[in-house]
Amino acid sequence: MSVHRPLSAVAIAAAALSGAVFVGGWGSSAWAADDATTLTIGMTVGIDNPNIWAVNSTSEWSAVTLQYDMLMKFSDEDLSASPSLAESCEHNADYTAWTCTLREGLKWSDGTPLTSRDVAFTYRFVIDQGFSYFTSYFPKGSTFETPDDRTIVWNSPEPTRGMDVPPWVYIVPEHVWGAYIGKTNKEIKQAAVLPNVASGPYIMTEAVPGQSWTFERNPNFWGTEPAYERIVFRLYTNQEAMVQALKNGEIAIADGLESALLPAVEAIPNVAVQKITADSWVNLAFNFGGQDPAANPLPALKDLRVRQAIVLAIDKQAIVEKAYQGAASPGETIVRPLSVYWHLDIPDDQVTPYDPDQANAILDEAGYTRGGDGIRVDPQTGQPLVIRMPTSNDTPGSDIAGQLIASYLSQIGIEVKAQPVSAGKMYDLQQSGNFDAYIWYWTGDPDPNYQLSVFTSEQCGDLSDGCWRDATYDDLVAQQASTLDQDERLRLVREAQQYVYDQVPSIVLAYPNSLTAYRTDIVADLTPVPAGDGYLTPSYSYTGMVSARPAQLTDPAASASAQPASGDSGGDAATTAGEPSSTSTSGPPVWLWGIAALIILGGVAVIVMRRRGTEDRPDTH
Amino acid sequence: MPGDPIALLARSQRLSPEALELQRVAFGLDQPLITQFGVYVRETISGNLGVSLISGLPVWELILSRMWPTLLLVGIGTILAAGIGVLAGIRGGWRRGSRFDSGSLYTSMVLYSTPEGWLGMLLLILFAGLLGWFPAGGYSSSTSSGTTDVAMHLALPVLALALGYVGQFLIVMRSSMMEVKAQPYIDLARAKGLTDPDVRRRHAVPNAILPIFTLVVISVGFILGGAIVIETVFSWPGIGLLTYEAIQTLDYPVLQGVFLISSAAVIFASLVADVTYGLLDPRVGAT
Repeated sequence: MSVHRPLSAVAIAAAALSGAVFVGGWGSSAWAADDATTLTIGMTVGIDNPNIWAVNSTSEWSAVTLQYDMLMKFSDEDLSASPSLAESCEHNADYTAWTCTLREGLKWSDGTPLTSRDVAFTYRFVIDQGFSYFTSYFPKGSTFETPDDRTIVWNSPEPTRGMDVPPWVYIVPEHVWGAYIGKTNKEIKQAAVLPNVASGPYIMTEAVPGQSWTFERNPNFWGTEPAYERIVFRLYTNQEAMVQALKNGEIAIADGLESALLPAVEAIPNVAVQKITADSWVNLAFNFGGQDPAANPLPALKDLRVRQAIVLAIDKQAIVEKAYQGAASPGETIVRPLSVYWHLDIPDDQVTPYDPDQANAILDEAGYTRGGDGIRVDPQTGQPLVIRMPTSNDTPGSDIAGQLIASYLSQIGIEVKAQPVSAGKMYDLQQSGNFDAYIWYWTGDPDPNYQLSVFTSEQCGDLSDGCWRDATYDDLVAQQASTLDQDERLRLVREAQQYVYDQVPSIVLAYPNSLTAYRTDIVADLTPVPAGDGYLTPSYSYTGMVSARPAQLTDPAASASAQPASGDSGGDAATTAGEPSSTSTSGPPVWLWGIAALIILGGVAVIVMRRRGTEDRPDTH
Repeated sequence: MPGDPIALLARSQRLSPEALELQRVAFGLDQPLITQFGVYVRETISGNLGVSLISGLPVWELILSRMWPTLLLVGIGTILAAGIGVLAGIRGGWRRGSRFDSGSLYTSMVLYSTPEGWLGMLLLILFAGLLGWFPAGGYSSSTSSGTTDVAMHLALPVLALALGYVGQFLIVMRSSMMEVKAQPYIDLARAKGLTDPDVRRRHAVPNAILPIFTLVVISVGFILGGAIVIETVFSWPGIGLLTYEAIQTLDYPVLQGVFLISSAAVIFASLVADVTYGLLDPRVGAT
């Protein structure tokens, strides 16, 4: 028997003990909390390319919003136009010219003065290069003049609402991007951009693909200096892992949470949840055909009475509870609620109720009698009312909503074949028209024009869900697009929403809340935009990041009563940033590791001694 | 795969029909399939894997940026799984029917049949959530990226990967050991007076390990394909995660690049296994 065996076993156990002490000592403090100078935000979508011209995902938009300024921005109150780089903008009598005056003393992050030339360059650049995200705000033929360093004049060949919208275009430095004039968009998107040059409160300095993106405070920012020196976006491709990271204090804010995790998140001590007013909506869209000659949607869905009956038969509140765990509100109109100024709230007494009895009565009166199998039959075509209804798996809650709708409609004699499909398949179906109805989602801009336009006749075969064609609606949308009077436009926008609500080409099922959770003992003073139930992270504005500061300990007992961001400064939150929360898990005490190591040593000793009695016994077989 | 990647951009990037068509032309998607294939072959031979439809960055650059985390995770995980599996298989096969053999066999079969993602989630909930011993995901901390920090982030995903794959190595090694143990030269070795450990170490293992060698080399070849599920569970920024993201966005150039790299790696590993097998086993080398 080799004398080295027990010694090697002891060596292994000693190594285990050392490792255990090391791990135990390390694990208790290394990632338990952010340091006071860095704000770490967990995100579920990464930044594939930090280049502003390649912006695509929600996180990329957040990164751009954090770093750049618009000439006029979305106000913190209600997302209407408000001063940003420009301290004022005026239009001429017929709205064909807008003159804006920049603030004094503006600088880029590298110290170069920011002038009207940068603004003019940016607008010309996006138009000439055809960056479609940004060009839609400028009528064809727009030109820009810079009579002096602080004045920019936008001349439009036709009246434009211009800076009242405002144009969602971030101003970029001419001295950086001027070299790319005439280059292909491919070359522009591949330009190396780090460290970035911008005018906002933070500048991206480091990007670790698939992992994290670091923003340093801009020393030349024109606004209030933020408290945090650094902001880090961290990617979590697993929502449960992000929640654990929030619980452990690895991140201070968890953005983009799914509603299914809401109960678990709300149970974590020192965590507040911001249920953000919806900037998207989930809809059940009907197909009216016409996308393709082979498209064959159910003809009965063209009957308004059938669509009205379907609306009456769907319990939207139940969908909100079961598909979104209450983190949503029943849907109504097609302009999202976050566009506070434009969104039409249907008065309670005019909201279509959940009334399957009335739905049945409407269908009975319309002549849709039930067959022997209980399924109603179209009196015009003789077809049973069977709806093929794909649900897109990139729409949270759509699968459950689809199952619920199938059960609801079965009560009024309509069979629904709900089928979850991928987003890619949904596009195929939308283009081919090979469906009867589907569940998908829409999001949009603060300005309602884009959202309203997708329901117009000309969008059939393009963005339209089901090729609904209605001349009255088309006319309303055209009028609001050309109207310069803000009050008149508001009236038209609301009328368009009401019209869609009444004609039911699509049923807005729910307005899902976006969910952001944050540690009240690590970060405080996150300003929501828009005010109240708005975004805490950069979505339309960086205000929340500028106002954020490390939470300070004043009263340990106050940590138990920490309030959400809206309406509360969070100043009475628990621990000093940089120290582990008293309620966060931070690893077992070192003495426990010692006991575990002793147990391991004892077990190894027993095993070795037992093997001494069997080692030399010859094997027989 | 269903779905038109350019049509996806229509919604996400607000592209007009004219702009959509320009994108289609820019990526060559307006050409006949055979022409697209010819262009693909020509460009691939010249080392150009194209650019991402979504980010616009060169595919090579994207893959290279994820290479090191992949090598770390899948490399260490595979070596660990192979090491544990081989050692346990040797012991279990040598002492067939023993408690260790039964225990290790059943345990590895359970682990092998357990979905990786579920196993990963269990480890995450236990060690990162309940106990807080390890971070909940990612490659490194926000404010630190030293070796130890990366190692702590690597621990759970490596453990999940290793536990998931140890079974295949253990079962093959065990089976091979049992077969070798029944050979006459093993009896001869004992008859010569060699101790049991010496018989095992000097006569049984060198012969039994040949089949496992092929398995290990092939597994090394699969390293570059990444571990999609494990990387997604632990937010590990490897090639597997890149593949997952590309599938979601129908980023075909990235998918093609990843498939090409991982296929080439497996083919190369198979070639290495074939060549070196002959060197290890004189009987094969002689034929």
